[in-house]
Amino acid sequence: MEHPEWIERLVGQHEKPLCRYAYSLTRSVSAAQDAVQETFLRLCKADRSKIEGHEAAWLFQVCRSRVIDMQRKEKPMNHLTPAQEAVLAAPGKNPAETAMHRDTENLVPRLMDGLPDRQREAIRLKFQQNLSYRDIARVLDTSEGNVGFLIHTGIKTLRDQMKTLSGAVS
Amino acid sequence: MNFDPNDPRLTAYVLNELPDAERAEVEALLASNPEAAAFVEELRATTGLIAASLANEPDLTLDPARRATIRTAAETHPAGRIVAFPWWRTLAGFGAAAAALVLAVVGLHLQRVKESRSSASELQIVTGIVHEQPTDAARGAVPASVAIKDDRLVATPPEATFDVAALEKMAEPPKEELARDNAFTMSAPAPAAAPASPVLASTRAVGLAAKGIIGSGFAERRRQERESAIISPSQDDFDVIRENGFQRVGDHPLSTFSIDVDTASYAVVRKLLNDGFRPPRDAVRIEELINYFTYDYPPPVDGRPFAAHLEAMPAPWNPQHSLVRIGIKGKVIDRAERPPLNLVYLLDVSGSMNDVNKLPLVKRSLQALVNQLDARDRVAIVVYAGAAGLVLPPTPGDQGPAILEALERLEAGGSTAGGAGIELAYRTAREHFRSNAVNRVILCTDGDFNVGTVQRGDLEAQIEREAKSGVFLTVLGFGMGNYKDSTLELLSNKGNGNYAYIDDFNEARKVLVDQMLGTMVTIAKDVKIQVEFNPAVVAAYRLIGYENRMLKKEDFNNDKVDAGEIGAGHTVTALYELIPVGQPLPDVPEVDALKYQVPSSPAAPDTEALTVKMRYKDPAGDTSTKLEFPLPAGALGNPAPSDDVRFAASVAGFGMLLRDSEHRGTLTYADVLRLAESALGDDRLGYRAEFLKLVRNAEAITGKP
Repeated sequence: MEHPEWIERLVGQHEKPLCRYAYSLTRSVSAAQDAVQETFLRLCKADRSKIEGHEAAWLFQVCRSRVIDMQRKEKPMNHLTPAQEAVLAAPGKNPAETAMHRDTENLVPRLMDGLPDRQREAIRLKFQQNLSYRDIARVLDTSEGNVGFLIHTGIKTLRDQMKTLSGAVS
Repeated sequence: MNFDPNDPRLTAYVLNELPDAERAEVEALLASNPEAAAFVEELRATTGLIAASLANEPDLTLDPARRATIRTAAETHPAGRIVAFPWWRTLAGFGAAAAALVLAVVGLHLQRVKESRSSASELQIVTGIVHEQPTDAARGAVPASVAIKDDRLVATPPEATFDVAALEKMAEPPKEELARDNAFTMSAPAPAAAPASPVLASTRAVGLAAKGIIGSGFAERRRQERESAIISPSQDDFDVIRENGFQRVGDHPLSTFSIDVDTASYAVVRKLLNDGFRPPRDAVRIEELINYFTYDYPPPVDGRPFAAHLEAMPAPWNPQHSLVRIGIKGKVIDRAERPPLNLVYLLDVSGSMNDVNKLPLVKRSLQALVNQLDARDRVAIVVYAGAAGLVLPPTPGDQGPAILEALERLEAGGSTAGGAGIELAYRTAREHFRSNAVNRVILCTDGDFNVGTVQRGDLEAQIEREAKSGVFLTVLGFGMGNYKDSTLELLSNKGNGNYAYIDDFNEARKVLVDQMLGTMVTIAKDVKIQVEFNPAVVAAYRLIGYENRMLKKEDFNNDKVDAGEIGAGHTVTALYELIPVGQPLPDVPEVDALKYQVPSSPAAPDTEALTVKMRYKDPAGDTSTKLEFPLPAGALGNPAPSDDVRFAASVAGFGMLLRDSEHRGTLTYADVLRLAESALGDDRLGYRAEFLKLVRNAEAITGKP
C-alpha cells in the first residue's frame, strides 16, 4: 500500500475514536481536533515500519502526549472546583452519595468522572477503543500489570458505588 | 488461588486478558467459591454498563480543513524512512555497542518491511469488515444526537434504560442467570469474541508482525526508553557560571561567601556521565560536587552550633600552590531530641512524573521517611498537575498507614501548574505552624515548574516572605527531562531551603531519610564565611566554586543580608587555592599602590596564613554571632594531609577538568583517579568508590587521560 493510502486508511479508521478520546481528555472540541490533527501529521512524518502492527496504540499514545503538551502550554493554571477539592480532601467519601440525589440517567459517566484520571483513561481505552492491556500499557506508558490494576480497581470502585447506590435507592 | 476482591486477574478474566494457565486457575476458583463467582458476575455487569455508556458518547470528527492538511502532509512525506540514529548516540561512551545496535536495527528493519508487505493485505481484508459493521451498531447502542456549543459537545443521549434495571439486579443476591440478562449481554461484548471489532484487526497485526520482528521490537523499545529517559543535555537549563579567578591579597584581603549545602549538581553530573554524555560546563558546580560527600569532621564540643576544621595540602594541579580546606561540621542532634516536624509535601503529579524514577520513587522514599516519624510530627500532601489539591490533610506521624494509603492513591496524569499548588502548600503549612517545630514545604518535581499566571517574581517574593515567617522550602528534583535546574535552585534559595537532585532510591534515601535530621533541622541560619588573608604569607587566593554564593565584604556584618543555613550534623566544605608569597603570580592586574593610606603593620606578621570568620544566626534569631578560626602559617606545608582533604581535592580537580577550568594546569583524569583512590577512607556507603567509576567514565567520554 502506498504511503498516502496507508495514512488515509488510518485516518478513516481512527479519526472518530481519536477525537472522542481527545475530547474526553480536553473537554474542548477544537483542542481535541487540534490534537488529532497534530497526531496524524506526526503519523505522516513517522517511520511507518515502526508503527505497523500497533497503529492504534501508536496513535492513541501520540494523541495523548499531544494533549498533555497542549495543556502544559495553554492551560497553566486550573484551580479545582470546590466540589473536586472536597472529594480530594475527603478521599474516603463515596462520590456515589453525591450522585444519588440526581436522577439515575447518565449515572455511569458521572461515577466514572469520580475515578482517578488514569483509571478512567485506562477504562476508556479498554471499553471505548477495545485496546488490549498491552496496547493500553503502551499508550499510558506503563506496564501491563499496572493497566490490569488500574482497570480492575476502577471497575471495582464503580461496582461498589453502584451497589451502595442501588441499595440506597431500593 | 484464593478469592481476593482486589486481585486484578478477576477483571482480566472478565475481559479475556488472561493467559490460559491463569484463566484455568480463575475458573477453578469460580467453580468452588460462590462468593467469588458472584463478585465476578458483578464485575461483568459493571463492564457491560461501562461499555454501553461509553458507546453512547457523542461522536466527534475532524473538520474538512484539518483533514485536508493531513492529506497534503501524507502526500509530501516519503514513506517508510530508514531508522536514523542521532549522530551523538554513536559517539564515545556508546562506541561499539551503539554501532552494533544500529546494524541490528537496520537489518531487522529490512526484514520487517518484507513481513509487513504480506501482513498488510490481510489487514486490509479484516478492516474492510470493520467498516461494514460500525462498532456502535455492533454494541447495539443507539447513537446520540449531538451539537457543538461553546466548543463543547452537547449530547441528547437516548433513554438510559439499562441503568435502573441493572442497579436493581446488583442489589439483589446474585443469581445464575444474571450473566445472561439481556441488559448485560446486549451491552457487554466480550472484546476478543466480538466478530469484527477493531481489536481483532490490531491484535492480529501485532501477532503477524511479532513473528518476524521480536528482536527489532525489543531493540527499538530499548532505544525509545533511552531516548525518553534522557534528553540531550543542551536542552536542560543551567545558568552560566564564571569561575572565580585569583585575587591579589594586597588588593582584596577579604573573601566573603554564603554557605551552601546543595548537592544536586553531583547527581546531574553522575547521571549524564553514566549515560555517556559529557556534562555541560555550567551543570558542573564544583562546590556541590565536593559537598556531595560526607567528611569525618568532629562535631563541636563547646556548645557552639558548629565547628570549623582547617587543613592544607599542596594543590594537586600545581604543587607550588597550597590548597586550604575549610570544613564545617554542624552539631549533631539526637533523634529523640529533635524538634517536631510540620511537613507539607508538594508533589508534582503531572503526566511527566510517571516514569519509574519519578513519582514511584517519590512514593518509595516517602514511605521510608514515614517509618521514621512519630506522633509529634505532622505530614500533609498537596498535589498539583492540571489542578492543585490537598490529598492528605496534616496527619500525625504515627499514623503511618493513613499517610501510606494517601501515597498509594497518588498517580501521575495531567499538566503542571505549580503556582496554585505552592500557594495551597504554604497555606496548609501555615495553618499548622508551630514555633518549636520544623515547618517546611518540600517540593518534589521533575522540574517543569509551571508557575501559571503567577509572575515568577511574585512567586519568588512569596517564597521569600514565607521563609521569613518561618516556613522554609526544600526542592527535590526527580528525573532528567525538562529539568529546569536553575529555576529550582533559585526557588529553594529564596525559601531558605536546600535543593537536591534525586535519580535513584539510594539517593532518595540519602536525602529524605539519612539526612532527614540534617536537612530538616536547621541549627543556624544566614551562615556567612569571611576569610581574611595575611599578605605577609599569601600573595593571591582563589575560592573554588561557590560562584553564585559570593557576598560583598560589607555584607558579612550586615544582618539584613540573607545567606545559607546549616542543618544538624551537616558538613560543609570549601576549598581555597593559595599562592604563597614568593611564587610567581598569574596574570592578575594589579591595583596601583595607594598614595594617601598608611600601610598598617600586620597584627601577626607571618605566624598566621589566614583567619576564617563566621557569622550565623539562631534559626529563630535576628542578630548574628561571630566565630573566628585562624590557620597558622606553618600548617600550609602539611606533610601528611588527611584522606578527607585529599579526597575533596580530587573532587575539586575532577570538577575543574569537567569545566575545562583555566586553572587546571597539567592535571589529568588519571591524576584525579590516583589521588581519590588513595583517599577513600572507610567509605562505608560506597559513595567514594562510585566517584572512581565516574572519573573513569569521564576519561572514556572525553578521550583524555
